[in-house]
Amino acid sequence: MLIDVNAWLGTWPFRSLQDNTPDTLVARLDRSGIDKAVVSYIEAAFHRHPQSANERLARDVEPHGDRLIPVGTINPLSPHWEDDLASCLDLGMKGIRLFPQYHNYQTDGAESRSVVEACAQCNLPVFIPHRLEDTRQHHWMDPGQGVDLSQIANLIAAVPDATLIIPNARPLARSLIWMREDLRDLNWYFDLSLAEIHYGLHKSTNGMKDLGYLIEEGGANHILFGTHLPFSYAGPALVKLAILPVDEETLEDIKYRTAAKLLNL
Amino acid sequence: MTLDIESGIRRPKIDMHCHVWLMDGWEQSADHLVASGDMLGITEYWCSSVIQQGILAPVEDVRPHNDTILSAMARHPKRIRGWCFVIPGHFQDAIDEAERCLDAGMIGIKLYNQYRINDPVLHPILELASERHVPILQHAGYPVPEHRASQPLISHGIHFSEASEKYPDAMLIHAHIGGGGDWEHTVREMRQASPNVYIDVSGSNLDDGQVEYAVSELGVERVLFGTDGTMAGSVGKVLDADLTEDEREHIFWTNAERILAQQGATPTEPRTS
Repeated sequence: MLIDVNAWLGTWPFRSLQDNTPDTLVARLDRSGIDKAVVSYIEAAFHRHPQSANERLARDVEPHGDRLIPVGTINPLSPHWEDDLASCLDLGMKGIRLFPQYHNYQTDGAESRSVVEACAQCNLPVFIPHRLEDTRQHHWMDPGQGVDLSQIANLIAAVPDATLIIPNARPLARSLIWMREDLRDLNWYFDLSLAEIHYGLHKSTNGMKDLGYLIEEGGANHILFGTHLPFSYAGPALVKLAILPVDEETLEDIKYRTAAKLLNL
Repeated sequence: MTLDIESGIRRPKIDMHCHVWLMDGWEQSADHLVASGDMLGITEYWCSSVIQQGILAPVEDVRPHNDTILSAMARHPKRIRGWCFVIPGHFQDAIDEAERCLDAGMIGIKLYNQYRINDPVLHPILELASERHVPILQHAGYPVPEHRASQPLISHGIHFSEASEKYPDAMLIHAHIGGGGDWEHTVREMRQASPNVYIDVSGSNLDDGQVEYAVSELGVERVLFGTDGTMAGSVGKVLDADLTEDEREHIFWTNAERILAQQGATPTEPRTS
C-alpha cells in the first residue's frame, strides 16, 4: 500500500500540467504504483472564497472514491469560513488545506490559529504546502514565496493538539521546525517530494544528507510519502522511498500507515 | 506500464554534473558522494569545485579548488573525474590553469557566473576547448529578476546559442535545467543552437515534463544526466519521464560516453548491464 499525501487536481495558471484531471491522475497513480492520493483543487489557492472549489472537488473525486482522498481548502479571511469547514466535513473531506501566501495572512497569526484549532477539534489534519512552485521561476502574478517554516513552527507550538502536514518543504533537518526540540513529540509531518536523502548541495556532510540526517537524528516518524503530482514527477519520491535508510516497520509507516491514521481512513 | 524503480536505480549512469568542494573534510565528502552513488547506479561523477556569487577571485584562489578535484580523482580514480574551474578574465592564467588540469587528467572546463558564455573574454577558452575536444559546462538558467540580482551575468539559452554560432564545434553544456528559473524559456532559446550545445537534467526543480521538453526541443542526443547534488531527484525524473528506454539510455549513458570519445576517453567502468 502506498498513500501519496501531496497531489493535486486542476489548473496551474502559469504552466500547463498533465495528468491533472481525476481520470488522468488515477492513471498516473497506476503507472507510479501509488494506491491512493490526497488531492485538492489548485484553483482553491486563488479563489477568495474557495468553498465552490471544495464542492466541485467532492463531486469530481466521488467516482474515484477508492483512490482519491479529498482535502478541502479554507480561507480564514472569508466571512463565515466556519460554515465552509462544517460543509467540508459533510462532504467527506479528510483534511483541510491552508495557503497563507496566496490568501494573504500570517501563517502563525490569529486567523491561521483559529482554523487549526477548529480542525484539531474535528480531528482533521491541516496541510500547509511550503510552496506550490519553485519560487525561482515564479510568474510575476504569483506571490513567489514559500511559507516561512519558522512561522509554521510557531503555529505547531500554539496549537499542540493539531496535526500539521507540510508538503514540499526543504531543507528538513536544518529547518526551524526540526531544530525546535520542544516540537519533536508533536504531530507534524514533512513529505519526500523535495528533500534529498544522501547528497545535496551543501558544504557539510550533515547538510548534504538533509533527509538522511533528519532520520539519523530520530525524525523518521515525521516523514510521509508525497510526490507533488502533477506539478512534479513522482519518480523522485519513489526513488527516495527505495533507498530510505529505515527499517521495514518504519518504511511501512512512511508508505501508508501513518497517513492512513492521520486521514482516518 | 508501471514504473520499475528498482531496476531503474540499478542501471548504470554517468553523472556529468556534480561537485566535491574545497573545504575541510573534502575527503569525507568525496567518499560520501561515491557511497551515495552506489545506491543509485552512478558509476562515475564529473566533479568541480567552483567560486560562486560571481566573485572575480585571483587565480591563486582558483588553483586550490582544482587541486581539490585532482586529489579527489586520485582518491577515487574509477569514480571521480574532473572539471577544471577557471575565471576567463584571467586570460593567459586561465588558459594555463586549464592546460594544467587537462594535462593532469581532467575531462572538461567548468565556468560559473563570472562571465556569460557569449562574452568575447571567453573566446580563448572556447578555442582551447575546441582544440582539445573537451566540453565546457557552465552554470546557467533563467531565474526571475530578484533571483538574478545576485548573479547578473548568469548565462541562459540565448547566450549558448550565440556562442555556438561563433564556435559551432565547441561542446557547450547548459547546466541544470532544474537549477531554478524558467526552464521552458532557456530551452526554447537553444532551439537554433549548434548540435554541440547540450543541457543537463540536474537541479532541485523536479517539474513534471521537464526532461521530455528538453528532448522534444533539442533532441535526445543533447540531453545529459547530471545531479548537481539532487541525486535521487535527478534519477527519479529521468526514470519517470515519458521516454523510450533507448532515449533514457542516451541520457543516462550514451551521450556522455560520446562526449568522452571526442577526446579519446571512455567511461571509467564499462557499462555492465
